[in-house]
Amino acid sequence: MTREEIVEKVNSLLSEEFEVEQDAFEPEANVKETLSLDSLSLVDLVAIIQQTYKIKIPVADLRQIQTFNNLYDYIESHLPA
Amino acid sequence: MKYDVIVVGSGLGGLECAHILARSGRSVLVLEKGAQAGGCMQSYCRKGMWYDTGFHYVGGLGEGQSLHSAFRCLGLLHLPWQRMDRHFDRVTIGNRTFPYAEGFDEFARTLADYFPAERRSLQEYAGLLRRAGEEQWLALDPASGGLDFLSFMSDTGAYPYLKEKFSDPLLIDVLSGTSLKMELRKETLPLFTFVHGNSSFIESSWRLKGDGALIVRTLVDGIRECGGEVICRAEVEELVEKEGRLVQARCTDGRVFEGDVFVSDVHPAVTCDWVKQSGRIKKVFRNRMNRLENTFGMCTVSLRIKPHSLPYFNCNRYVYRKSGVWTFYLEEDSVGGVLVSCRIPDDDSGYTRQVDLLTPMRWAQCDAWASTTVGRRGEDYVRMKERMADECVCLAEGVIPGLREMVEEHYVSTPLTYRDYTSAPEGSAYGVRKDFNAPLLTMLSPHTPIPNLLLTGQNLMLHGLHGVTMTAFLTCAEILGREKIRKLIEN
Repeated sequence: MTREEIVEKVNSLLSEEFEVEQDAFEPEANVKETLSLDSLSLVDLVAIIQQTYKIKIPVADLRQIQTFNNLYDYIESHLPA
Repeated sequence: MKYDVIVVGSGLGGLECAHILARSGRSVLVLEKGAQAGGCMQSYCRKGMWYDTGFHYVGGLGEGQSLHSAFRCLGLLHLPWQRMDRHFDRVTIGNRTFPYAEGFDEFARTLADYFPAERRSLQEYAGLLRRAGEEQWLALDPASGGLDFLSFMSDTGAYPYLKEKFSDPLLIDVLSGTSLKMELRKETLPLFTFVHGNSSFIESSWRLKGDGALIVRTLVDGIRECGGEVICRAEVEELVEKEGRLVQARCTDGRVFEGDVFVSDVHPAVTCDWVKQSGRIKKVFRNRMNRLENTFGMCTVSLRIKPHSLPYFNCNRYVYRKSGVWTFYLEEDSVGGVLVSCRIPDDDSGYTRQVDLLTPMRWAQCDAWASTTVGRRGEDYVRMKERMADECVCLAEGVIPGLREMVEEHYVSTPLTYRDYTSAPEGSAYGVRKDFNAPLLTMLSPHTPIPNLLLTGQNLMLHGLHGVTMTAFLTCAEILGREKIRKLIEN
């Protein structure tokens, strides 16, 4: 899967599931703020990524994911071969 | 009237929350869709005898033990509890029987007589069980530093733990042999669930003289004494959200109840469906709740025993046709394991009149009748139930020779029965399947995206009488504050 495909799919998935317009998804925008995530909906984010990409995000790794770019990077580097 | 708290669902967790909150001065209303309160604790009457569904025995009621203070708070300690034998559970695998002894040290010592090479591991395991009991309220005190222990037990699989700790597969079977009271599943069952499902019973095990409805009645009476209300035949169809908070519960018969806080003792997916319009619950949360997997259901065969034919036995018998306690329900078409429980006699004859046989039943075994309702499931369903009853009795005869001849009547309930009486999806006996690979996603907290909608019951942290009671206190801590709940438990 190319970077562009990941970006496109992640954006459409998050927009649909979190009911937020995609226009707000700037690569350097903060994911938590954009999706209005609290500790509970952060679990939703972990779940949807695990469900869609079969990638487990350990709690400790969540700190690495601040911006949308961080999220795309994380998925790109953890995709199963 | 506007209630401080509306509890939806009158299972054990719902009633316990209502009781705790009513006693703390809150105005409380419990709404139950069924004709009687109790959820999985309901009992039913046939020809003048009351039969239990979910309840059989409980652990940790002794002074200073893990359930003692919680049951005292709930007014449940004064019920006619009877301590079970020193060897309270006996596990039979093939033609060998192993006792579970009361007390952690004695438990390890007794089994070490059968498995001397594993003595040290048994002692370590017993130490883990003891610690789990002692530290069960850690979640109320996050600053205590015990959270590492909680996350170790949630992130570790019960089966991988046992496999690493013990080398004899028979001992692993024996240590898992009383765990028909949870879903033994190698790939998912967290050590947390396994340990809490065993620990308090080893402290001490107790049967109630009478049926589980005694517990339900005591809780309902306690709620009413404090001014709370419990209304049956009030089926909620919608929870109404306004400006980001729930304001009303609407029932199918048109009644509307207003509340400040709502506690749902019903499956989280069903609860979400009730909030039809929400600015708070996004699709992602609904989908996550709908995707949660559920544990298997149980088939219960309730036997009415002829008078003066079966002497009462003050222990449980867990009987397996052969080794493979973790997988028998997946591999075999015929019943491969059964819990045999008996009721304390009402008189002083020394003979029991009721025996329950319980065995796991997967939804796949019930799926053919998924669209049917109670009493209208057809001839083939009746035949399936008869076959289950026959196989359970056959297996139980391994420890009670001649049982078949002692039976006067029998009644069978399946996961379909549970589904239709308790709204548990797939008739699941132990609620949402917890998964040590994804504890964050499967061990739910009481919180929902709506700040004044909380969850409770066996679908959250832990199941069983003990687990649901702990969970009820944790749910109430979100309303009354952790400090208040800690004081309640400590006093």
